[in-house]
Amino acid sequence: MNALALAARLARRELRSGLSGFRIFFACLVLGVTAIAGVCSLADALLTGLATQGQVLLGGDVAVGIVHRTATGDERAFLARYGRTSETVSMRGMAYALKNGAEAERQLIELKAVDGAYPLYGNVQLSPNAKLATALACNTNECGAVAEQSLLDHLHVARGALLRVGSQDFRIAGVLTNEPDRLSGGFSLGPHVIISDDGLKRTGLVMLGSLIEYSYRVALPAGASIPAFKRAAADAYPDAGWQISDRDNAAPGIRSFVEQVTMFLTLVGLTALAVGGVGAGQAVGAFLDRKRSEIATLKALGAEGGTIFLMFFLQVMTIAVAAVALGLVLGALLPFGVEALYGAEIPAPAKYAVYGGPLLLAAVFGLFSAAAFAIPPLARAREIAPASLFRDIVAPSNARGRLPYLALAAGAAAIVIALALFISPSVVFAAYFLGGVAGGLIVLNLFALGLRWTLRRLPRPKSSTFRLALANLTRPGAATSSVVVALGLGLTLLAAVMLLDGTVAAQVKDDLPGTAPTFFFVDIQPDETDAFDRTVARFHPSDYKRSPMIRGRITALNKIAAKDAKVDQSARWALSGDRGITYAATPPKGTDITAGKWWAANYTGPTLISFDGELAEGLHLKLGDTITLNVLGREITGTIANLRDVDFSNGQQNFVLILSPGLIDKAPHDFLASVRVPPREEETMYRAITDKFPNVSTVRVKDAIAQVNGLLQELSDGVRAASLVTILAGLFVLAGAIASGSRARLYDSTVLKVLGATRARIASIYAIEYGLIGALTGLLALGAGTCAAWAVTHYVFDVRLLFDAGAALATVIGGAIVTLLFGLIGSWTALSARPAGLLRGP
Amino acid sequence: MSAIVLDGISLTLSSAAGPVAILSGVTLSVEQGETVALLGPSGSGKSSLLMVAAGLERPTAGRAVVAGTDITNLGEDALARFRRDAIGIVFQSFHLIPTMTALENVAVPLELAGAADAFAHARAELEAVGLGARLEHYPGQLSGGEQQRVALARAIAPRPKVLFADEPTGNLDGQTGAEIADLLFALHARDRTTLFLVTHEEALARRCGRIVRLKDGRIVADERTR
Repeated sequence: MNALALAARLARRELRSGLSGFRIFFACLVLGVTAIAGVCSLADALLTGLATQGQVLLGGDVAVGIVHRTATGDERAFLARYGRTSETVSMRGMAYALKNGAEAERQLIELKAVDGAYPLYGNVQLSPNAKLATALACNTNECGAVAEQSLLDHLHVARGALLRVGSQDFRIAGVLTNEPDRLSGGFSLGPHVIISDDGLKRTGLVMLGSLIEYSYRVALPAGASIPAFKRAAADAYPDAGWQISDRDNAAPGIRSFVEQVTMFLTLVGLTALAVGGVGAGQAVGAFLDRKRSEIATLKALGAEGGTIFLMFFLQVMTIAVAAVALGLVLGALLPFGVEALYGAEIPAPAKYAVYGGPLLLAAVFGLFSAAAFAIPPLARAREIAPASLFRDIVAPSNARGRLPYLALAAGAAAIVIALALFISPSVVFAAYFLGGVAGGLIVLNLFALGLRWTLRRLPRPKSSTFRLALANLTRPGAATSSVVVALGLGLTLLAAVMLLDGTVAAQVKDDLPGTAPTFFFVDIQPDETDAFDRTVARFHPSDYKRSPMIRGRITALNKIAAKDAKVDQSARWALSGDRGITYAATPPKGTDITAGKWWAANYTGPTLISFDGELAEGLHLKLGDTITLNVLGREITGTIANLRDVDFSNGQQNFVLILSPGLIDKAPHDFLASVRVPPREEETMYRAITDKFPNVSTVRVKDAIAQVNGLLQELSDGVRAASLVTILAGLFVLAGAIASGSRARLYDSTVLKVLGATRARIASIYAIEYGLIGALTGLLALGAGTCAAWAVTHYVFDVRLLFDAGAALATVIGGAIVTLLFGLIGSWTALSARPAGLLRGP
Repeated sequence: MSAIVLDGISLTLSSAAGPVAILSGVTLSVEQGETVALLGPSGSGKSSLLMVAAGLERPTAGRAVVAGTDITNLGEDALARFRRDAIGIVFQSFHLIPTMTALENVAVPLELAGAADAFAHARAELEAVGLGARLEHYPGQLSGGEQQRVALARAIAPRPKVLFADEPTGNLDGQTGAEIADLLFALHARDRTTLFLVTHEEALARRCGRIVRLKDGRIVADERTR
């Protein structure tokens, strides 16, 4: 304790010399901690919002989802025993604007029919303000409907206009400005429209086999147990095909999205801390270098190595605590800033507040990162020999620092890594990311070493300007390594993000339209198929496919309940929710069977299944295994007869499950069709089909692609902005590295001026030096970024990496320009100083 | 009783041009309370011999016993404790800590030794060297002579058995240098500390009881002045 008190006293005296050597250390730490605290606080605000608004988002305390059919009387009675209930019916449909009684413009819509009890929680908001029941009321000829403004814009109509959906006319009574349970509904292909259950019946769209989702929400009395409800439901209706959700996880998709994005941004924040940490380590090293004489003096006076270490460690950590505190304050304020600037644009409910958890997390990350990077130079300082007071040539006895100190630094780094992995929803992704960052730092350091080694051995250029520039890069104390490491990691991340962005965008914007159909048609009734085929045939269709389709859920694999089956995480999605199922006597065109064989064309025996080969691997299924499906409340068990290669990336019609006919074809179902037509026929086919088949939902693929593309664009903008945090940390470190060499620059330039060099000549030397190192770092970053992007496209997206020359140029030229600018600005004093000033001495 | 016993001390240091022999088989014994001047030209090994004797440098060969402690094979921290408890050093360049006041600079070795009255003791030492009015001044606010007085007070404050001084007047003008030398010998007379002085000034060396001359890392003469 005495040793600690003494070290603290000495440290306090030392801190009187100010923090000028620690500006970069301070700035990097503030940046990293702010990023992590801010991102995690915002995530907590969103997740808390989702959790506290669970009832409203779900529309009840529990919700039972059923596909294709309504609940039976028994089922309704069971639900009513638990509390107030409300039924909603969701489907896709076509809305036609009526002009002078005739169908004019049309639009695919997300249609929701609600009963009088809807919503059980929260409020529907309309513009102008009105009661929902009043707005949706029906009279003899027409019913009311409320729609999102985007539908009115698409159809070029105003409130009060008439719409036709199916065979019923609806008057737009108001604009839907808030639909409380919208987020739990999933991805939307069109504007949302709400009508009454009575109105839906009148549309004639509710037919057996139509793709309709029924949702029964229950408001449980206070204190009622959700698990008890779930157990009772499972006991009473084990095979009913109920999909039960509850208020605690009302919007699982959004929750998972927020968690994934938070993980990514936290890792980016950690990368900024790592880049900053490299700079911090250098700053601490430079600071201690200036303190050599004081350290040696203290040792000569009898201070032990441990006291010296503790004294400077306390100083560094005091500064770290101040930086972390500032970072926490800024991070805690970030969500409020986001609320003020973008609050209206964030679709999820957020509860903006100061959350302790994220701040604690960021503090731990910040302090342990600071310790991990500061300890090695401190350990080296501990070894400074007191004899160095007398001479400079004395080699330190243990230049790398003693093992226990290095172990301490490694321990601090291990805590940061372990914590990052622990909080991550995907340990594997986080491990790869952190491994990539560590690998990147090692590669950059090796590159810097190799670069200096190579430059030293290059033949001397004839131009003296070039010669001096190259000499500057290789001389002792040159900023080469610092610049490469500082800028390299950020540029690598940016290059990887840009290349990934370009590849995914090209896939969605360019490749997909080349292979995807022009239209998907949903809910073609069995009695319409011939007429539908004839209508399509009037055009010049290619790849026309029409398949029977019914929705069903996988409930068991080899008789083991799906929830208990041991499957890979990557395949878990197939067991949650409903899947499209089709049947076929012969293999559909383009089928690529990888194992087993197709059934005979006239086969009508026990159900056989043709299954997605890759998914079978993830579900640990092989030929001869059984899959049990729940279709319309009935269990169907089939045996896997063959495995197929299923490729969803081309956007074409495809099914994970194809069943043999005999049983499934007896269930009520309708048809899904897809077709590709030349662009000139797109509009006429759209009108022809929608004119003739108002019950068929027509999905224009290019609209869906545009929507996906828009989402991707927003996501990639966010990711790119996040990677700028790392770049910013790199720039801090770069500025620090250049500033630390400014004294040497001043000396060099004075000597050169004395010898007759002009300022322009000296500036050219610096420009070549900094431009070269920046461009080479950019080139390395491009290589490393390309490798990282290739790994992600190859192993995660399963697409070919598109090498974007623009991104490549931006990385290399950007690296060169940034380094050049910082370098020249940093050397300005040296360029403008008059030689006499320095030669005269202090 | 011997305060310093150096027996066959050799010191070889590595440099870019290869190993350099600094000291070659130096043997020397200094009695308690004695004043010894180490005299020699630049590069003769004077400061290196002082460093070995003060436990700042480990000899390559030979044995060093100082203030009754065999320091030849002591570890780094043990050497630090030895310096703290047994010796004081005055440097040519003062080596005061710029972020500490004169008082704090003098108190440091006492604090390192865990003395409870470090500051009271330090104040008394500074008053003894005539700097009672400069207690709260930082080194940057003191003249060269004043800084060396602080350094002297710092070296003598823990009452070391041996006081080493490396060219203590080398960075000072003649008048100030003479004042510092007077002070150095006055403090020696007060505490009867063994004084081991490195200098290249014959006149300063003559004030010591014994002069040891060094050349090329070897003792070439050892004479008593009185």
